[in-house]
Formats: sequence, structure tokens, C-alpha cells
Amino acid sequence: MSNKKMIEVQNLQKKFGDNLVLKDISESVEQGQVICVIGPSGSGKSTFLRCLNVLERPTDGKVIFEGKDLTHISEKELDSLREKMGMVFQGFNLFPNMSVLENIKLAPMKVKNVDEVQAEKTAKELLAKVGLADKANQFPDSLSGGQKQRVAIARALAMDPEVMLFDEPTSALDPEMVGEVLKVMRDLADSGMTMVVVTHEMGFAKEVADQIWFMADGYVQEVGTPEEVFEHPTSERAKDFLAKIL
Amino acid sequence: MSMKIFKKILMLLAVLMMVVTPFAAITADTTSSSSSADTAKTTDDSLKKVKEKGTLVVGLSADYPPYEFTTKQDGKTEYVGIDIQIAKKFAKDLGVKLVIKNMNFDSLLVALETGKIDTIISAMNPTEERRKSVDFSNIYYSGGKYIVINKKDKSKYTSKESFKGQTVGAQNGTLEYNLIKQQFPGATVKGLAKLNNLIIALQSGKVSGVLMEEPTAKAYVQNNPNLYAFNSKVSVDVNETGAAMAFPKGATALTQAANKTIADIKKQDLLDKEYVPEAAKYMKQSSKHNTMASYWTYFAKGIEYTLIITVVSVLIGFVLGIILALMRLGHNKLLHGLAVAYIEFIRGTPLMVQVMFVYFGIGAVIQSLPALAAGIIAVSLNSGAYVAEVIRSGIESIAIGQTEAARSLGMSQKQTYQYVVIPQAIKNIWPALGNEFITLIKESSIVSVIGVGDLMYQTQLVQSATYKGVAPLAITMVIYFVLTFTLSKGLNYFEGKMKHE
Repeated sequence: MSNKKMIEVQNLQKKFGDNLVLKDISESVEQGQVICVIGPSGSGKSTFLRCLNVLERPTDGKVIFEGKDLTHISEKELDSLREKMGMVFQGFNLFPNMSVLENIKLAPMKVKNVDEVQAEKTAKELLAKVGLADKANQFPDSLSGGQKQRVAIARALAMDPEVMLFDEPTSALDPEMVGEVLKVMRDLADSGMTMVVVTHEMGFAKEVADQIWFMADGYVQEVGTPEEVFEHPTSERAKDFLAKIL
Repeated sequence: MSMKIFKKILMLLAVLMMVVTPFAAITADTTSSSSSADTAKTTDDSLKKVKEKGTLVVGLSADYPPYEFTTKQDGKTEYVGIDIQIAKKFAKDLGVKLVIKNMNFDSLLVALETGKIDTIISAMNPTEERRKSVDFSNIYYSGGKYIVINKKDKSKYTSKESFKGQTVGAQNGTLEYNLIKQQFPGATVKGLAKLNNLIIALQSGKVSGVLMEEPTAKAYVQNNPNLYAFNSKVSVDVNETGAAMAFPKGATALTQAANKTIADIKKQDLLDKEYVPEAAKYMKQSSKHNTMASYWTYFAKGIEYTLIITVVSVLIGFVLGIILALMRLGHNKLLHGLAVAYIEFIRGTPLMVQVMFVYFGIGAVIQSLPALAAGIIAVSLNSGAYVAEVIRSGIESIAIGQTEAARSLGMSQKQTYQYVVIPQAIKNIWPALGNEFITLIKESSIVSVIGVGDLMYQTQLVQSATYKGVAPLAITMVIYFVLTFTLSKGLNYFEGKMKHE
């Protein structure tokens, strides 16, 4: 594994009004790494992830991606860097007025000016990859939660991103559908994709992650391999949290 | 806190701007109109001009029997009445062809000043105020003021003094209205906009008498056996009340020619011998043709205008609404403040006031602004504010996740709006827009106050032509209902179709 830093976070801080949600975070994501962010609810995991592609604008600190501080560049530059950071949401956020295929084709065609034939070809390949080749012309309404999330992953992959951000991708799913989504994510990790995953799926985290980040109270409290964090947690907060869920 | 104050100041500023601009324009206008009067004075080829072109263009407002009104002759609408007879005689004396232009009474002076007509013969009183802008001929007819009462009260009311403690009606803004206040001891005055409605008020006992001009009073009595009229014997200044022809300032030659014709009419006593009886004859005739069916062309025209105003206003209002909604949703604080101020101001003032403000305010700057255009402008400006709110709520109803998904894919704000938010918002907006359309069909009836020939205006014409108050209103109600009901059914159908897609 190379040591090239993909995303570097320096002294990140985020306030909502007077509420300091992220206090001081400095971490980095290396190319090809799969990082699972775990921690109790309200610890700022999602906010942290959303700061990485500046959907949430940090109050202070830096987010460096491709050598640029995302918090201090023009809107236009930010748009072109966001292309390279795919994001998958808890609520899927598929466009309900478009078919599955159109959902996937839209951004490549409008943002990257890929011609329709090529965009459609890529979209179909990606759908096959997530096991939904037969759903190309369906509308999101007619899909199950697990299917929707797999389409959402395909949609993000269609932009050919450098890194994928997952914001609790299985939290809104019925239990029997969690597996199909995790499988797609596992395949993606195996293919060498750099991934940052906010999740409550400890089994997945243990199995797939290169690094576990444990977050609580607006800080990253512990960083380590799954083994280190799950078996030998050092901080009290982590011990407490793991005792409750395992 | 300071943000709130800043917003309030912005709003105030915007409102002030909107209110002050037209006023500034009006003040500027008064100077320019006086200078145009000066240029008219320098030359007087008025008579020569009329003779050269071979036509005398007479402006009048044909809704004032027996002076000028319309009658149906062999299915065709014809202008008749005392003033028409005088116009015919005047044209004949000059040896030219008569052309009649029917327009709203309050547009006549503007039409004369801008040369659209050669003279006004429309029972116009040569008041001091009007003399400032036009020249008048000698007075050709001067009737007294009569009180119309119910025939059964004939013995109860015999003089203006007998109305003590009673209510007497008159048209708003007329001399009669002031006369009741000044010369009817102990009586209360009740003002309404239309003579027709005053007669209805009289018949239903809401007023005891209605003060009006002699010939008009006689016309009502002739056409309604339950009414009676007598001379009120109020004292009036003949210069303020008699009827005279109006000419552009400085058109001395033409005015003198008119005076010659008037002298001739007086010498032969044509008014009493021919013109008044003839007008009465036509009025009787038209009251025979009193079936609503014979006035269907009026209603048809009214529907046409109402639809034109509504459709054009909806389209302009839609475009304006999109612009305002985007301004309001955008991040630019100035544009946001302007949009909010505009929307709140328009929604906080009555459409009727807006219609009149546009017609008389902007109309003072652009004198040739037709009432129809003014009506459409006002209704569009009004509709824009409402549509903006419809669009804004439509856009805000789209979940934030849609925007975030699009932005996370690298789409710009504009692309996000264009491809993701707006197409979804339209589905939410469509039904509300349909409602706005239906509302406008009804609300556009207000433009009748500035004389636009919409359905409501035509209804009033039919009321005056038929001397019937309620029947035309009933028909108009049914027409409005059919229009709105059909439209709402049609919109429901399309809405249903969109949902299935």
C-alpha cells in the first residue's frame, strides 16, 4: 500500500450556532485505505464526513484534497473537486423523477460532458456490477431500500471518483437488505477504492476496514486497526461504547 | 438582531422607491403637458384641417341616455341620442362625414389633447377645471336637476325640502352629490358609482329619491312606469352644468363653427322639437328589446376580454414570478430584500387600488396607455407576486437531500436547480398555478373600474341599456362559473395525468 495522502484534515472545527460539534480534528486518509468511522450517536461522525466534501462548511481548519484546501477555493473549483469525491447518503437521495439509468447518466453528461452513448454504456456496466442490470428503466419508487442504495452507489461511481464517502449507508434499511449493500461495498473495497464509511455495522468495520476511527464528543478519540480498536481500546469513551454494542 | 433591522430598512427603501418613482414622473409630466398646449395655440388651422380630411371625428361615451347610447337596429349596434343628432348636424353644416369614436368618458379629454378626435360631444359640462385644458363651445343644452322617486311616494315628496331625515342618492363624484349635501336640508346623501344601481336602491327602498339630470330622469320615468320625476329646483351655475362641445385649446375657428351650428339649433328649437323626442323613442325601443338574448354580443365580447386579460397576465405573471422567486431564494441580500419587499407590498394592497394606480399613475406618464394595457400590467404585476410565492414554496418543498446529492456529484448550483430541483418543483407548482389562473379570471373583473371592456364592464353596459339591474348580473355570474368550473376540471385532468407519469 502506498502512503500517498488522499485527504488531509487539519484542526477541523464546526459550529452550529453556539454548539461546537467538531472540536479539533486532524487526520488523514491515504490512497486505497478503507476507513470506518464509528462512535455514539451525536458524536459528529456525519458532520465530519460532510465536511470532507464541504457539503457542510467547516467553521475553522483545513480540508486538503489534491493539494488544495477545499475551505478556501472558489465555488467553481470546489464543484470540480467534488466530482472526484463520490458520496452515498443514508436516505439514498435518488432523483425520483428520473429512471434508474437517468439517475446514473445525469452527472457524467452534464458535468463531464460525456456523450449519451458512452454514459449509458458506463451506467449499464455499473448497474450490472451492483446486480441491478434488470432495473435500468425502473423508477426509484418501485425499488426496495437496498436496491435504491445500490443505485445510489452506482450513481456515485459513474463520476469515476478517487474516493467514496458513505454516510450511514445501511441505517435506513430493513435488516434483510443490509447484506446486499454491504456486499457491494466490500467488492468496492476489494477493488482498491479509497473509502471513508460512517457506519454502525461493526461486523463490516472489523472485516473490511484498514483503520477504525472512533469519534466521541467532537474528537477522534482513537485510531487503529480493527483489532487494536475493538480488542484493546485505550480510551474510556471507546471502552464504554464498545461494551454497550458488542 | 442587526440583520433583522438591516432587512427592515432594505424593505422600507424598496417600498419607498416603488411609491416615489411614479410620483416623480407625474410631476415631470405636468410641465410637459402645459408646453404642448402652448404649441397648439400658435396655429389655428383647425377648421381647415377638418374640411381637408373630410371627416369630423367626434368622441363620446355612449352610456348616457338620452344624450348618447346604443340601440340595436336590424341586429346592428347604432349610436343614437341628443348628442349624436347634434354631431350629425355639425358635420352636415361643415360639409364633412361624421365619424364617431366611442370611449370611456375619462379618456375623452386625453384623446382630444392627443389629436385622436376633433371634438367631444358627450354631455360634457364646461367646468372651470376642464376649461384649463380645452376650449368649449357655447352651451347647447341645459336641463335642470330632477329627483326621481317611486310613483307611490308622489304625494309624500314634493320638493327638495320634503326629504328631511331621508336618504337621497346620487352618482359618486358628481355635481348632484354635492348639491344634495348643500341644498337638501336635513337629508343624508348616499353615493353609488352607477346610476343603474341607484335606481335599484330606490326601488328597494334604500334611498327615497335619486338626484340626476333632467333628460336622464325623464328617460328613466319613461321606461319605468313605477317611477316619477320632478324638478328639484336646486340652484346651479349654468356654466358648470350645461352641456357643451369641447375642442383642443386654440381651435378657435372650429369652435366658432360649432357655435354657429348651436345658434341654428336653438333658433329652430330642434332640441325640443326633434332631438329629445327622437332619443326618447329609441329608448322606448331599446326597452322593448329588453331580452338578455339580444345582448349576447356584449357578453361574448366581455368573455373575450376577460380571457385575454387573464391569459396574458398569467403568462407575464409566471415569468415575473420565476424571477422574483429566484431573487428571493438567492444569496444576494439586495435582490432578496427587493423581492421580499415587492411580494409583501403587492400582496398587502388591494388589486383594485393597483389597477387604478397603474392606469392613472403610469397613465399620466404615458398618456396613450390604453386602459386594456394598464389593466393587463396591473393584473400581471399582482399575479407575479402570488406566483413567486407559489414557486418559492414549490422549490422549498423539494428535500434538501436532492440538492446535496446533486452537489456531491459535482453539479453546480445552477445545474442542480436546472436538472434536479426545478423539474421536481414544477409538479408541485402546477396545481397551485392552476388555482392562480382561476383566481385571476374572477379577480380580473376589477379592471372594469378603469373602463376595460371585460365581462363585468359589459354587464354594466347591458344594465344601462336594458334598465335591468339583476338579470345581467345573474347571467354574468353563470358565465364566470362556467369559465372557472370548466378550467378547474380541465386542470384536474392534466394534474391526474402528470401524477401517473
